Amino acid sequence: MNALEMSNNGYLLLFHSGEWWKDLGREELQKYLAQSNAWLEKLMTTGQAKGGQALARTGTIISGKNGRTVTDGPFAESKEVIGGYLLLDVGTFEEAVAIAKTAPMIALGTSVEVRPLTNECPSQARLAKLIREEQLATA
Amino acid sequence: MNIKDQTGYMLLFVGMDWHKGLSPEQTQKVSEDWMAWFKRLNEQGKAVAGHPLGFEGKSVSGKNRTVTDGPFAEAKEAIGGYFMLDVATMDEAVAIAQQCPGLPFGAKVEVRPVLAECPLKPENKIDEALVGAK
Repeated sequence: MNALEMSNNGYLLLFHSGEWWKDLGREELQKYLAQSNAWLEKLMTTGQAKGGQALARTGTIISGKNGRTVTDGPFAESKEVIGGYLLLDVGTFEEAVAIAKTAPMIALGTSVEVRPLTNECPSQARLAKLIREEQLATA
Repeated sequence: MNIKDQTGYMLLFVGMDWHKGLSPEQTQKVSEDWMAWFKRLNEQGKAVAGHPLGFEGKSVSGKNRTVTDGPFAEAKEAIGGYFMLDVATMDEAVAIAQQCPGLPFGAKVEVRPVLAECPLKPENKIDEALVGAK
């Protein structure tokens, strides 16, 4: 799947989590992994999910005027980071939220962020809206 | 491309308030530069996917699976978009991240390695690796 070819209606789920597995024993962990896997497989089978991946708990943050500031991960144990993502190809925000609510990871403290994908820069879209409003006000 | 098999790096653009303090023309220029940057990387085969994200968002969390509006406390910490990079090394991904047109205006870029095997798949035995790491 190429996310570029996705319709404008897609949504991105971002999983924010700490190291949830640290306190789980083998059986519990296996049960939970199987649950999560079944959840993902089902969404892939129905076509509601187009792809998703886990991210390593390592990383680098680039900031500063010319990108000169480079801060290295790994991230602290307790720190909530984005541990993975899932691309949804569903028509409405409500549908995306309903899917997010069924994520097994939530039971272990993960929070799921639901965001619409756009094909234009949101800053530019907002600017265009403000300009339209201004024009209407002065018309 | 099957995104499931992708193993590169994910760039997460942190900060949705970089345009504050910029004139409409400047904002438009940065936005255009950003889109052109993606197009160039895409043509080179280095960026295989990417999207800006809309301002609106919901967050689901807690025992009762509570839905709250707006996943972010502050616009400067909100994720404004992402790129999936198909490059082989962290150094290469970092070098690309350093070209982000939003950096001079306060945006940050988080560069994260994608795990080759999804740890959510029990058959990948990553669960055992995790238990072993305890």
